[in-house]
Amino acid sequence: MNSFFEQFPTVFQALNVGFLQTLKLFAVTLLGAIPLGLIISFGSMSKIKPISALVRVFVWIIRGTPLMLQLLIIYFFPGLVFNNPIWGGGEDGRFIASAVAFIINYACYFSEIYRGGIQGVPHGQQEAGQVLGLSKGQIFFRITLLQMIKRIVPPMSNEIITLVKDTSLARIIALQEVIWAGQAFMKGSQGISGAIWPLFFTGVYYLAFSGILTLLFGWVEKKLSYFKA
Amino acid sequence: MTVLEVKNLNKSFGRNHVLRGIDFTLDEGEVLSIIGSSGSGKTTLLRCLNSLEFADEGKIIVNGETIFDASVNKRPSEAELRLKRLHFGLVFQNFNLFPQYSVLENVTLAPNLLKKGSKEEIEKYARELIDSVGLSEKINNYPCELSGGQQQRVAIARALAMKPNILCFDEPTSALDPELTGEVLKVIRSLADKNMTMIIVTHEMMFAHDVSDKIIFMDGGVIAEQGTPDILDNPRSDRLKAFLTSF
Repeated sequence: MNSFFEQFPTVFQALNVGFLQTLKLFAVTLLGAIPLGLIISFGSMSKIKPISALVRVFVWIIRGTPLMLQLLIIYFFPGLVFNNPIWGGGEDGRFIASAVAFIINYACYFSEIYRGGIQGVPHGQQEAGQVLGLSKGQIFFRITLLQMIKRIVPPMSNEIITLVKDTSLARIIALQEVIWAGQAFMKGSQGISGAIWPLFFTGVYYLAFSGILTLLFGWVEKKLSYFKA
Repeated sequence: MTVLEVKNLNKSFGRNHVLRGIDFTLDEGEVLSIIGSSGSGKTTLLRCLNSLEFADEGKIIVNGETIFDASVNKRPSEAELRLKRLHFGLVFQNFNLFPQYSVLENVTLAPNLLKKGSKEEIEKYARELIDSVGLSEKINNYPCELSGGQQQRVAIARALAMKPNILCFDEPTSALDPELTGEVLKVIRSLADKNMTMIIVTHEMMFAHDVSDKIIFMDGGVIAEQGTPDILDNPRSDRLKAFLTSF
């Protein structure tokens, strides 16, 4: 199998499997990091000083070190230091370890975006709700939340598109995502070896997916453009 | 009949003693204007009445019910506080309309959430209020599509929708271009004609003179002079004289 056209069906199949793993990591990260980020942002805004200080130091550590390093530490640390490889050795273990690292990392970035969004809503909005006799929950869910969402959509779309590409970092602990799948054909896999084009071809997947997301976020921004906040 | 009694209200922010013993009463249907230079404590007084700030000393009594007493140590619960706030309405200097809601939704949001009646009744009353501030044509528009004067009129309708005993205005025209103040003052005047009890913090001396039953002049956290609007023509204190000449 030497010609591109002979190789294509096999490579395409393998890359699809790899990209499915990429998508899974992407989705699980968002599912975990979006709510966790909110909790962290409340922590960093806490009026109890020790809590906010502790949370801010944590956010600083996570945002101040490479995600790749965090992946390696989270994956290898329990096994090497405590002799207790909690993640297990297989693809499932690598996936869970990757998901944990990505969720923590992205939750910290999201928390800072949320904080900006929450603090950006003028205090007068809350006071207007208070003098009308609304409860704190009603003020948050019926008044502040949508204004906050409108403010955070542009920075969140940036982060989420970055996440699409960051999933490739999980390659470092051999998660079988799309880059890993493409690289396999350089070393040799399914009768194809020394082929570099499959690795380059993975770029098409990232481009297509981030293109879809760009359109989606553009649509959301447009949906929210009926009011100014 | 006395609606509001304020007794010996004192409030400090850190070392800044903003209110130094405020006493006054207000009868039902009366319009009280509070005048004075910036930093004299006018806005803080309104915020204390609306439970956005809590005084360090003093009492606030509405319709014979003590709604605030600084000598009672217990902070009111969130639920109690919400009930107390409903005695007052507040119109802010910069409107603070909810940008994501239409004019009608701004007015109906709180009555609906607090179940002040059936949905139909609330909407009917809201439409009447919006009509009374002259904005029937804008009922489905969003705040960003309105001028400042129109936004402030919506804010007045929104406050009235909760049927407060006393409606407070915190410099309602200070954020408006001069040509837009007239339409807002006209609405406030029409409320005075309907005997709405109101407290208006304002720098519009002519308006205060015409619309008020009572004027309070604040200076340095105390009521330096109070009386009928006549005090604007014949001020007794030197401080009020000096203040009025600055206009």
